[in-house]
Amino acid sequence: MTDQDDPLIRIIAVLKEPVALAPDLTARVMAELERVPSPGPVAAPPPVAWWRRRWTIRVSPVGALAMAAGLVAVVVAGQRFGRRAETPSLGQTQFVLVARDAKAVALVGDFNDWSLSATPLERTDSDGVWWVTVPLVPGRYRYAYVVDGTMWRPDPQAPAAEDEFGRPNSVVTIGGT
Amino acid sequence: MRDTTPRVGFVGPGLCIALLAMIAALLLMGAVPNTAHGQEPRLAGRLPEAAKAQVDLILDGARLSGLPVEPLVDRALEGVAKGALPALIVTAVARLRDELNVARTAFGAAASAGEITAGASALRAGAKAKDLAELRRLRSGQQLTVAVAVLADLVTAGVPADTATSAVLALAGEAADADYLTFRRSVQQDIAFGASPAAALGVRLRSLVATADNAPGGLQGSGRRKQKP
Repeated sequence: MTDQDDPLIRIIAVLKEPVALAPDLTARVMAELERVPSPGPVAAPPPVAWWRRRWTIRVSPVGALAMAAGLVAVVVAGQRFGRRAETPSLGQTQFVLVARDAKAVALVGDFNDWSLSATPLERTDSDGVWWVTVPLVPGRYRYAYVVDGTMWRPDPQAPAAEDEFGRPNSVVTIGGT
Repeated sequence: MRDTTPRVGFVGPGLCIALLAMIAALLLMGAVPNTAHGQEPRLAGRLPEAAKAQVDLILDGARLSGLPVEPLVDRALEGVAKGALPALIVTAVARLRDELNVARTAFGAAASAGEITAGASALRAGAKAKDLAELRRLRSGQQLTVAVAVLADLVTAGVPADTATSAVLALAGEAADADYLTFRRSVQQDIAFGASPAAALGVRLRSLVATADNAPGGLQGSGRRKQKP
């Protein structure tokens, strides 16, 4: 079989031959174009189409979990910073009681859930001076001393406060300005 | 054979997992405080179950109303520490809830927990809700906690409620928190030395007003002071 017998070779040979165009082809095409009415300017797509277009988002599971963790972290951080902004500053408040014969003195009040064990006072010397320092934000706090675990005593240096349970309270007000 | 059809709008398993993870995390974050709201943990084991259930109901109602819950828990814990009967504790908590509500109404919805709590104490001492509202108006934009607490302290010290209220309102325009605290301390010292509460308050108020009239900066020069009980 020779090259002349190959159909592909023969097709290529035909395609390589020069195309003879009619001499008036250009004039006829231009005349036809002038006859067809112009379509006018191309209209822009309505802006709403962009908003309604659907998007394909591809995220790997690991990337998605990282995004979720990031979002949660932002939410948690926002909550913490928000709380911090609202938190008033703490001031140190000293509580002092003279109880010469006491073996133990505890401070109980609105600032420590009225717990008998949360805020014990320290004895400074043999004169029976007991003291403790408590950080408090501005506000009004009711409190009392409990001597030897059973005897409730108000603070003799502080104003009395309301009491509904038959044991005297004192009150301390911490200013903020 | 792999599907090459365009999947318009399909987001894939990754984003689905992300959405589920976010929903789970947010539900978890919301569920923790809700659990704590239903049962006040600090009261568990310290109050009999029946009384605790009643107190929890009061706390839930207070939360729904936007009232501060901490003073209510403190009141219950105070009763427990003092060995009060459970019924008395429930009554005391309910009464305080009512006073907090009146104080919040007087001060407005934007009042802080400290203001509302101090307002409840002032009401308990004998102040009137309309006077608290007037104090709010006179000290608009300022914290009321100390002014109201001083009002409560003065009445508790024996000053007639109307007299104490008039004094606190008279100082409302110029006094800083420190001025209020100094004023209260002075009145209580005078009472401790034997003066009648009303007379002590009158003398100290006149002195303070005279100081304000003579000082170029009014009363506000006192500044912050370390408060000792």
